[in-house]
Amino acid sequence: MSRLYVDRVALGLTAAVLASCGGAPPPPPPPPPVHVVATPVVAPALPADPLGPRPTVATPAPFEPPKPVVYAGPNGMTVWLIERHTLPFVAVTVSVPTGSSSDPKGKGGVADSAADMMDEGAGTRGAIELSRAVDTLGATIGTGAGIDETSVSLTVLKKNLTPAFAILGDVVSRPRFGAEDWKRVVELRQNELRERASEPDETARVVARVAMFGPDHPYGHPVDGTLESSRRISLADAKAFYRAAWRPDRAVVVAVGDVTRDELSSLLSSAFGGWTLPATPAPPIVTPAPPAGPFPRAVLVDRPDAPQSVIALVRPGVSASDPATPALSRVNAALGGSFTSRLNQDLREEHGWSYGAHSRVSAPRGVGMITAGASVVTDKTIDALKAMLSDVETYSAKGLTDEEVEKTRSQARADLVSAYEGAGTVAGRLATDAMLGLPADYEATASIRRDTATKEMLDRLAAQYFDPTHAMVVVVGPRAKLEGPLGAMGFSQLEIRDANGELVKR
Amino acid sequence: MKRALRLVPVVLPAVLAAVTVSGIAGADDPKPPPPQAGSQADDVRIPFTKSTLANGMTVILHEDHALPTVVVDITYKVGSRFEPERRTGFAHLFEHLMFMGTSRVPTKMFDAWMEGAGGYNNASTSEDRTDYYDVGPPTALPLLLWLEADRLRDLGPLMTQAKLDAQRDVVRNERRQTSENEPYGKVELRLPELLFPDGHPYHHPVIGSHEDLEAATVDNVKEFFATWYDPANASLVIAGDFDAKVANEKLTAWFGTIPTHGVPKDPGTMGFPSPTLQGTATTLTHAVRETLEDKVELAKIVMAWQSPRHFAPGDAELDLLASVLTTGKASRLYKALVYDQKLAQSVDAVQESGALGSRFVLEAVVRHGASIDKLEAAIDKELAHARDAAVTDEELTRARNGIQSSFVSRLQGVRARAALLNMYETEIGDPGYAEKDYARYTRATAADVLGTARKVLDPNARVVLRVVPETVSTKGARR
Repeated sequence: MSRLYVDRVALGLTAAVLASCGGAPPPPPPPPPVHVVATPVVAPALPADPLGPRPTVATPAPFEPPKPVVYAGPNGMTVWLIERHTLPFVAVTVSVPTGSSSDPKGKGGVADSAADMMDEGAGTRGAIELSRAVDTLGATIGTGAGIDETSVSLTVLKKNLTPAFAILGDVVSRPRFGAEDWKRVVELRQNELRERASEPDETARVVARVAMFGPDHPYGHPVDGTLESSRRISLADAKAFYRAAWRPDRAVVVAVGDVTRDELSSLLSSAFGGWTLPATPAPPIVTPAPPAGPFPRAVLVDRPDAPQSVIALVRPGVSASDPATPALSRVNAALGGSFTSRLNQDLREEHGWSYGAHSRVSAPRGVGMITAGASVVTDKTIDALKAMLSDVETYSAKGLTDEEVEKTRSQARADLVSAYEGAGTVAGRLATDAMLGLPADYEATASIRRDTATKEMLDRLAAQYFDPTHAMVVVVGPRAKLEGPLGAMGFSQLEIRDANGELVKR
Repeated sequence: MKRALRLVPVVLPAVLAAVTVSGIAGADDPKPPPPQAGSQADDVRIPFTKSTLANGMTVILHEDHALPTVVVDITYKVGSRFEPERRTGFAHLFEHLMFMGTSRVPTKMFDAWMEGAGGYNNASTSEDRTDYYDVGPPTALPLLLWLEADRLRDLGPLMTQAKLDAQRDVVRNERRQTSENEPYGKVELRLPELLFPDGHPYHHPVIGSHEDLEAATVDNVKEFFATWYDPANASLVIAGDFDAKVANEKLTAWFGTIPTHGVPKDPGTMGFPSPTLQGTATTLTHAVRETLEDKVELAKIVMAWQSPRHFAPGDAELDLLASVLTTGKASRLYKALVYDQKLAQSVDAVQESGALGSRFVLEAVVRHGASIDKLEAAIDKELAHARDAAVTDEELTRARNGIQSSFVSRLQGVRARAALLNMYETEIGDPGYAEKDYARYTRATAADVLGTARKVLDPNARVVLRVVPETVSTKGARR
């Protein structure tokens, strides 16, 4: 600090003003540097720094996440409940473990289309009446598919829980799937798919998935499908998907908030008492094989004249039930999971090439993806990509620093605490656990696994899961500027794909 | 009516030894604070105590031990409307520079030490203010306060060209990522320039221009810090799992001893009128039209009006009207444009409230194959209806109930509560304003909403901005 400080005193008025207020003494001087001779005013007479030394931080007590009470609901449903009576607010998620990985071949988007239709008229209400009823209660109801599951979520004030729960029951067990509504919903969906193609981050995510798993893999298409696949999906497809997936013996209800077990049981029997179990066998729960590669390779999606490129490094990761998954989140945190992570420090703070770089581990029922990425100024695309590859390579080869081992332990605890603030967030997190086949006490045991992982274990995971030679590069940016330089990096088998991940003929 | 702008703390001479923290708990609130934030549906309060340090810095404490986490939230009353000429984007660039370190905290160590302790942070800049927050485990509170006190005390004079250059590049990439390479992102760059007259403090976007960001100097940074980053211009909230007595000791020692130059003068509207329901109307005298080309698949119409400032009469009414127009499938515009006429893909209206004045913005994405002119005509027909006839009781109830839920649900997060206390403190001078804020919505009648719509939604005093897909000639080599 010394030089900065001395220079400032020599130049600045501010310090003098501060001093004359009797205020903030300047920061404590270091042992005098050579040119302190020029500014002999410093030091011995100064009062002690009012801030004193940096406070030390004691290790916080471990955080034990609340464990849900699990019991059987009507007709074979399973219920997970966390009571929390601090606010008059309740969040409920009902899910089934069937998602886009069960979409029929060539019909990517069926699961999500079926989910879309569930609140477009249900029970005695048409689409408009249903939406009006939910809004009048000040509630929200959302429906949607993921790769492994489909869910319906409700948030509502306690005082309106009963009527809102009845609507939830209609949406889950009595959706109408009307032909007119289908036509309208499909048109809106197709326009959303058109819009998706002009969003660069979204494009990178879609292309990464398609290129990583390939079109024949259950995880190899976007959950919302493509414009082309959407045209192949009929109302009958959506209905058939709903009938197979949504059955009480597959449904898990997660409720969090201001509701007791007795209250919930009575709501469940009113809303779902008439939801009968079909005689047909339940559909298979899909757990796909890991992606096959080949690796390494590179994919370029043309976005002409774009002021930034999206760059990503994508590779196979872990499944939710893998015992390594909790600890792997710490390995990811040090590489790209927070502001001080290696990638963000390098691409953003060191070089100013980007507004931020990050990495994440997605752990679904089968093996998912690990992704590192950033949006970078177009002229520095290749520099940034090389830096990212080199950062990842170093990390996988050398592992974590001692500092990173400690930091990521603290961060894991903080992440978990913040995940338990909002009832809707908690319900969503537990619903995902249930859908991935994880036990109700998973959050507590995973937290212990994260907390107790040793440096040796973390280093081993870094080597195993962040090796860049077993990865694929995806770039969304101007092809005219990038195709040559990417080839020169050694990616001779550069795949050119469109915004839906389809290979473009060269 | 309260002024939307701040209550100005009394400036005391900075007498270091005699800093006192005088609790004036619930000064505006006759009822004792409840033990938990909100225990029944109508209870939207956030309990707090407020005091002023000897140097004028406002301190607000909100204890809640439900989860082992603590939040420090500091608002400085400076935003993009305070920027000097030819320095658009400077307030936000400065926000980035606040993380670049001092002599006690070398560059990069602010984040490194905080994250090392299990903490994290972020900051945001608006036209009117700049907010910084830190979150950490309870044991990290002294560190969080120490880091904040350090930079408020010393950051400006220690600014260097290297620090400035590093964050300037980051901010220019932020602009590229969030505005230039994002579909419809250019709207936020252009809309302020069309809606507010040249020279108006809201005329330019918060992110600023590349040219002005490039022109910023180290001296600009030092001067900006010296002017606006004064303890008397700041309010600090601590919320969550902490002990008020311990916190007060740190606040007194570390913040109370920071010298003040007094409260800086808010430049206000710079002589421009603020739109209100009674007197002054908008500065727009006609419908301002412009069309932007962008890398989008579907065209979009954006309409914007100048509207009454935050907490002024008409402000809550416009929130209610926005909900009646576009919240849910049964809302007027969604039902008419998306559901029935199939002209729009989506529609959204929002009252964006500001200290000097607000803007009411309506956006609709055009359905593939539909006519943008027809969509605009259909929107105008609905807006004419909103000016002609009052909303129904059913519509008003629906809008109110949605707002009631959001007033309760926002109490779930400690960070959200900290941010709300500081928002109310800096925008209306009363951290305990939540109940009065909420009462605006239960009090507003259909006639109030109608009167506001008639006054504000003038078809001849608005901006109509269209975003259309790039034409073949501008696309270049695209296809």
